[in-house]
Amino acid sequence: MDPDHLLTELYAISNVPTVVMIDENDRIVHPNWSAFGTDLFREFTGIDSDKQHDRVRAWVRDDTTELTADEIRESVGDLSADEEQARLRFRIANELRHRNDQSGAARNYAIADDLAPHDWTIRRAAMPLQGQDPFGENFMRIYEEAEAAGRPYHGVTGY
Amino acid sequence: MANDTAILESTGTLTRAQLADLGWELKPEGLCQDDTCVIVPDRGALVGDAGFDLVILAELLDRPVAIDSESGLSAMGADRGRRRSALIDLVAPDFALPDLDGGLTALSDHRSKKRLLVAFSSW
Repeated sequence: MDPDHLLTELYAISNVPTVVMIDENDRIVHPNWSAFGTDLFREFTGIDSDKQHDRVRAWVRDDTTELTADEIRESVGDLSADEEQARLRFRIANELRHRNDQSGAARNYAIADDLAPHDWTIRRAAMPLQGQDPFGENFMRIYEEAEAAGRPYHGVTGY
Repeated sequence: MANDTAILESTGTLTRAQLADLGWELKPEGLCQDDTCVIVPDRGALVGDAGFDLVILAELLDRPVAIDSESGLSAMGADRGRRRSALIDLVAPDFALPDLDGGLTALSDHRSKKRLLVAFSSW
C-alpha cells in the first residue's frame, strides 16, 4: 500500500494502472505503461488486456522486450517542478485530513490539482478522499480536460 | 530508502532533532548520513538562530520541499537522484511499503527475480 504515492515520485507515475518490468539485475527493461489485466474498461481506454498479457508472457518466458534503452529513457520524462510540488501538497493534504483539518486538506488538495491538473494520481486520487464519486461528474471533467490536452502521461501509450 | 518522504512540523526551519529524524547530522565535514556526507558551501545560510533552513537543506539534499504556512506543515519528497536512477540509468529505485499483514515489503525482497511492478488503485 502506498498512501503517500511514493512510487509516483520515484518512477514518475502519473496515472494507474501503470506497470513496469524490472529484471533480475534491477534493470528497468520496460518503463511505465498503461496496462489493464482485464477488459473491464476496454471501451473507455481502448486498451486490449490480451496484448498486455502477451507482452508480459514474452518477457517472462523468452526474455523478449520491445524497447531499446534509449527508447525507454525517452518514453517516460521527468516530473516537472509543479508535478513534484503537487505530490508534496497531496501528502500535506492527506496528513491534514488525518488530523481532521478538512478545510486545510481541501485547500492543499486544490493547490495540488492546480499544479498538476492532468495527473490522475493527484486529482482523481483526491476525489474519494474528499467524499467525491471517483466515477462522477468531476471525473468526467478531468477525463475531458485530459483528452483535450492530448492525454498527457509519463510513459508508453498506445498499446 | 529511509525517510523517502517526510511530513514536518515546520514553516521553514528545522530543529537539530528534526534533522536527526530525517537521518542527517551536521558535522565539520558537512551534512552526513551514515558514511555519506554532503558538502555545505555556506554553513551560515543553512544554520541560523532559528534552526536549519528547510529550503536550503532541501536544495543541498536535492529533495523537493513544500511549505504550508497556514497549517504549519511541510513536506519533503524523495531524493531526485532516486528518480533519475529510474529514468536515466534505468536502475529501479528500491522502496519499502506497508503490506496487508502490517509489515513492509521492499522491491529488494525479491532481488534476483523478474518483477512486474503494478501500481493501481482500488477506486
